[in-house]
Parts: sequence; structure tokens; C-alpha cells
Amino acid sequence: MAGEASNAPDEALSVEPRGENLLAICFTAMASPCEVLLPSTTAPTAALELGALVAQEAWRVEKKFSRYRCDSVTAWIHENRGTVIEVDRETASLIDFAGRCFELSSGLFDITSGVLRYAWKFDGSDRIPEPAAVERLLPRVGFKKLRWQSPRLLLPDGMELDFGGIGKEYAVDRAYDSLAVRCSAPFLINFGGDLRANRPPLHGSWQVGIERPDTDRRATMILDLKYGALATSGDARRFLLKDGVRYGHILDPRTGWPIPHSPRSVTVAASSCTEAGLLSTLALLQGVRAREFLEEHGVRYWLLQ
Amino acid sequence: MQLELETRLAKAAHMRRQLMAASCALLGAAAARGQEARMAPADSGLLEDWSVDSALAYYHEDGRIQAIEPVVNIAKLFADGQALNFNVTFDSLTGSSPNGALTSRSAQTFASPSGKSAHAYTTAPGQLPVDPNYQDDRIAVGGTWALPVTRVDQLSVGAKLSDEHDFFSVTVDASIAHDFNEKNTTLSFGISEEFDSLQPIGGAPVPGSDYALFEKTGHKTKNGVGALLGVTQVITRNWLFEFNLSVDRFKGYLNDPYKITSIIDSAGNTTGYEFESRPDQRTRKSAYWENRVALGGQISTGLSLRYMRDDWGVRSDTAQLHLHWSFSNRDRYVEPTFRWYRQTAASFYTPFILSTEAPTTAYEASDSRLGAFHALTYGLKYAQKLPGLGGREESEFSVRVEYYQQTFNVRTATPAALQGLDLYPGLKAVLVQVGWRF
Amino acid sequence: MNFKQICIFCLLSSTAIAGGCVSLGVKPWQRDVMAREDMRLDANPLDAAIDDHMYFSKEASSGGRSFAGGGCGCN
Repeated sequence: MAGEASNAPDEALSVEPRGENLLAICFTAMASPCEVLLPSTTAPTAALELGALVAQEAWRVEKKFSRYRCDSVTAWIHENRGTVIEVDRETASLIDFAGRCFELSSGLFDITSGVLRYAWKFDGSDRIPEPAAVERLLPRVGFKKLRWQSPRLLLPDGMELDFGGIGKEYAVDRAYDSLAVRCSAPFLINFGGDLRANRPPLHGSWQVGIERPDTDRRATMILDLKYGALATSGDARRFLLKDGVRYGHILDPRTGWPIPHSPRSVTVAASSCTEAGLLSTLALLQGVRAREFLEEHGVRYWLLQ
Repeated sequence: MQLELETRLAKAAHMRRQLMAASCALLGAAAARGQEARMAPADSGLLEDWSVDSALAYYHEDGRIQAIEPVVNIAKLFADGQALNFNVTFDSLTGSSPNGALTSRSAQTFASPSGKSAHAYTTAPGQLPVDPNYQDDRIAVGGTWALPVTRVDQLSVGAKLSDEHDFFSVTVDASIAHDFNEKNTTLSFGISEEFDSLQPIGGAPVPGSDYALFEKTGHKTKNGVGALLGVTQVITRNWLFEFNLSVDRFKGYLNDPYKITSIIDSAGNTTGYEFESRPDQRTRKSAYWENRVALGGQISTGLSLRYMRDDWGVRSDTAQLHLHWSFSNRDRYVEPTFRWYRQTAASFYTPFILSTEAPTTAYEASDSRLGAFHALTYGLKYAQKLPGLGGREESEFSVRVEYYQQTFNVRTATPAALQGLDLYPGLKAVLVQVGWRF
Repeated sequence: MNFKQICIFCLLSSTAIAGGCVSLGVKPWQRDVMAREDMRLDANPLDAAIDDHMYFSKEASSGGRSFAGGGCGCN
């Protein structure tokens, strides 16, 4: 969940028609354009209300877990390094989930790897860090180093927790749940490309545009989504380029260096956005083997080298 | 290896289940319940996009023909699975082309095909007679349209047009392909129809007529019909193959209007020439088998075999092997190739006619392409990915070189008088090609 | 093995394959290697077309992978 320094997100909602059949309620959260798509037959007040539900959930998750906010749970955990603290149930579930992913990915997915950003600034320049600088950060990385017995956590000195890797997708799923209990109409929730739909709209299916699809050719591919979630990992703008070698921003927490030959972006379809997001992140972490990893898992995916 | 693979796949399936369980736990059973994201069948992971594949080939035969051939192929894929393909080929040939006559101990003079004395040519004693004024420019366009009719069936139609100053051809084809067995097997069937119109320079010779009489008639045509039945099968994770059976039949004027056969006497002197005469029908059958096998993450290999026979008595075997070796994370690759080819002569193939003997067959032709020979091709291709053009991510640049050599298998007894002459010189050629795909 | 025997053999094998009694193949998640560009049967169509043109004009055989007609006057 990248976020700028502002601690007061622009909490404005706007409603606009989208095509002939849909209404979109738009807002900004987690530094991404977000929207909720509803049938155009929805009454405007009802649409705003439902949109507000989704937006509030998005802002709530952002405020709670963003590392950029001083009033977030993440900030509070960091303030209390070296002492045993008891986290709330939602945070505990997230840390449990991160732990499972750490195990399943054999250490590639690690929410303690955020400290590496002190060495790596992915601004498109050619300033790659000194190996010694990266070496110095490595002892501060490693999920295993946490003392975690749900709900009690002891964060060692120098370490940080970063929920950015799963935050946006988790927010989609949470917002989806809160909307699904109130809305029986077909809807689609989209937070900057991580999206989920409950059922097909009346006119057939949701037309989702994926910007960077498979087979290395640029086009906007239109998918027909009936229901389910899509998540995309990777960002073509965040990299360093030195001597013709491209250093992507996906870092291997075990070495502190970028995963070589990582695809630029991976989009995965799954039943929940969290699961889709995990699979796409794990695929990126496989580097050269990304495509084979996705094939082995039998998921629908789109990959851009 | 097999055990390692199974372990990896079992692990992947296990991880998937664990991941789903973990997400459920995080989101609460109610939230993560729901089926897999479902896409309407139309998308199939395809993209709507243009792609261009272009190449420039230069072909050079030792002492004979040279050709330059630029080709461009443009493909467009639609999101619903339809595909459109359009290509343009231009080729320009110049040089010397054997006219079918036999090498002789005396000089030989030939009229040009058009009969104009300006292009008459003489062949020195002991040299293979070739027409040095051979020139031909050809332009061809073609296109195909592929349409998925159901989730497992695809229909494809195509057409081709080719035009040279003495030959015009139109071909249309249609085929249908059916996937089953979880897309491991694809059956396909296709038919094609070709119509050719020949307007040889100076007219089409009456087959088998005397060269000196120069009996020529107007333009001629020929027609061909073909059918192809194929199966593509995935055998293992690393091996798939394609097997095709095809048959085609051509009818009409099947002679090469520029080729002649030497008539020699018992002393080996050339006493005259005849225009060749081939049957006006030809049926060919072939069986083709192509394999692709992956040997690890960076290497794959292909082996193909083809067996052909026709009712002119020609039988041929072809074997082709290539290795694909990518390195630098598949940014570049090399591909060495090797091809072996052998054919037997047509039943009416004869390098010369003995004037003292009665003809044994109704037809005769001395075109070396109907003779018995074997040929080897050695090739090497190098390709490299480059940054894209016009906003595209990547393009591929390639260079390819091939060396092709034909060696005759002489079956006819050489007349004593012509011993020592190289009557069947064979062929050596080099192909150099650069390509760009984006 | 003459042509007729080859054809019969192949037809029987294809029928067997098609009938699924020999259920060869892989599961969808095992198609990772097949997804590679170099494993496509039509991986380099232009190279194949240029080669086929060369062989069509110098030999008596053509086709196999696709239709045998030449569509040009060079043979």
C-alpha cells in the first residue's frame, strides 16, 4: 500500500455512468484510483451509499496498516519493538497469513523485508546500492526472527513489518464482504487493478481491461469476467537501470538483491483477491520460472516479460 | 527425472490447496467461499494485437541462379480468438539455369525460349548446358483467416495468388481442427485447390516434339486438388508430435516448357533435342511426422520424417533434425539444423535419349529434379531479442545461413564416348537470411 | 514398409489415440513446457516458408507439414 505523506486521504466519492449499463462510484485509496461498479438501474442515493461502504472499508484498511501513517497499527508495532505486545484479531490473522505464505514460498514472501528499501531506491536511475549496504540490512530481515505466538508479538530491534504486499488485495476482499451482505445486485470492486466481482452483470459479463498481457506484445486485452477475483503484481515504473541490466523492484529477502529476470507484471485469476495477489507475487518471486510456476499451479494468468 | 517432476507438481497442487486454506482462514469462511474466477469462454487468454514477421533471404547457387526474396507476414489476433494473416512475398531470380540438355564433347548452340536470336546462347564443350539469361520476378500475396467455431473447434480458410511474367497461380484452402482429450489431441482435416496458368515465353512447346521445329502453342493450364489429414498429440510434458497424411493430384500441362532432352548417337554425339513430355496427371501421397522434445529448460530438439511417393515413380525420404539452444535467459538462441533428403528417379526420367534405341516409355524428361539424387542441408540460425519498435516491448532479430548440396545417384550407364565428362554435376547453394519479428 | 502399410498403421494409432484407449497426454497444469515458444510446431513460419520454396524448386517433393501445392512456377 504505497501512500504519500498525506495523512488525510481525499475522502470524496463521485458517481458517473460507465457505458450503457453501469454506474461507477469512484474514490482514491491506497494511492490508487478505486471504483465500485453497479448496474445503472441502481438509484443514485443507493449507489452512493453502497459506494461509501466500500470506500470506508478501503480507507479503514489503509489507515490501519499503512506504514506511512503515524496512527496505524504498523506504526504502533514499530514503536514497541523489543517489547511483547498483543495485537488485535485482524492484525493477528494477517500476520498468521503472512507466516503461512512465508512457509509455503520457502522464505521468498516475507513481510519483514521492507527494511531493504533503505538501500534500494527504485527511481529509474542507475544508482544501485553497494553490496555492503545491502549486507548490513540482511540481519534485519527474516520472518523467522519474529517472536510470534498469536496474538502476542515481539518485534526485534531494527526490524519492520510491511503489509504492503497483501494490503490492497486484502482490502478488496474485506470491502467485497461488507458489500455482499448489503447488495444482492451484481457488482465489481476494483482497487487500482486488483478486483473482484460477485456475479455477472445483466448484460453478460464484466469487461475487464488488462494493460499488459501475455506473449510480450503490448495491447489492452479485454477479458470477459463472470465472477471471481483478479490481482496484478509488478510495476514497470519501479526499477533501476545500470549498464544495460534492469534491476526490478522485487527483492529476494534471502539475498537482498532483485530476483533476476522477473517478469514485469503478472495477473492471476482466483476465487479471492488475496489468493490471486499471493499467487501473482509468488510468481514474480520465481524470476525466470514464473510462467512455469503459474502453469504448475493451474491458474489462469497473464504475464508480461 | 520423472519422480522429481511428479514431486514438483504434487507440491504445487499441495501449495495451491494450502494457499486457499490460508486465504479462507484470513477472510473468514464466508468470504473465501465461491468458485474459481470464471471467464466467459470467449477470451481464452488471447490478445487483440498486430504482429509483423519479416525476412530478407538471399539465395546463391554456385555458378547458377541467384535470388533475392523479401517476405513480410502480418498477423492480427482478435480477443474472441479469430486470427487474420496476410503475407506478401517478392522474389527476383537471375542467373543461369540448366536447360536439361546433356554435356557434350562439342559446342552446342541453343535458341532462347522466345526464339529471338539476340538471346541465343552457346555452351562450350564439356560444360553443362545452361541458359545464362534466366530472369524472373515474382510477386505473391496470401492470407488466412482462422475462426474458433466452438471451444474445441477451429475453422481456417486461406487463399494465395502468385504472379510472374510466365506463370500465374491461385490457390484456396480450407481446414477444420478439433481438440479433445483435454486438448492433448487435435485432429485436423483440410483441402486445397490450385489453379495455374502458364504463358511461357514464346509459347508452350508441344510435349515430345522436336526442338528444331520449335512447335509452340498458346498458353496452358493445370489444376491441383489436395487433401490433408493430421493429428497433433501431446505425449508427455516434454514431447509432442504431429502426424499428417496428405494426397494431391495435378492435372493439365505438367511439363517444364523450357526443358529439353538431348538425343545422342552411339558415339556420344548430340544429334538433336526434344522437348520433354511428362504425363498430364500426377498423384502424390505423403506421410509426415514431426516431433518436438524439450531437453531441459534451455534446449529443445525437433526431428521430422517425411515419406513421399507419386505415380511417376518418384519416392523420397526426408529427415530433418534441429536443435534449439537458448541462453542468456532466452534472450538469444542458436539453432543448428541438418536435413537429409533422397529421391528416386521418375520412371520416365532419362538424362538423354539414344537415337539407336526405340523409346521404352511414352514419356521422357531429363529435368534433374526428376532424377535420383540425395541432398544434404546444414544450417545455423542465431536470434536475439531487441528492444521493441514503436512502443512494443520486444522484437527479435535473426540471422540464418544454410548450405544445400545435391549429389546425383547415377543409374544410367554412361556411353563410352562420354566417359570423363561430368554429366551430373549436382548442385551447391547457400542461403543467407536476416529476419525481424515484432 | 510400403505406403499402404504406413497409412494403415497410422490410422489405427490415431484411432486408438482418438478413442482414448491409449490416453496419452498431460494435465492442464503440466503444460508449462509446451507454453515455451520454441516448443511450438509452427515456431518459425517464415523460415519454413523460405525453405519450402527452395526445396520445392529443387526437388520433386513438397509439402508434408501443409499442402503440397507450390503456387509458383519454379518447378
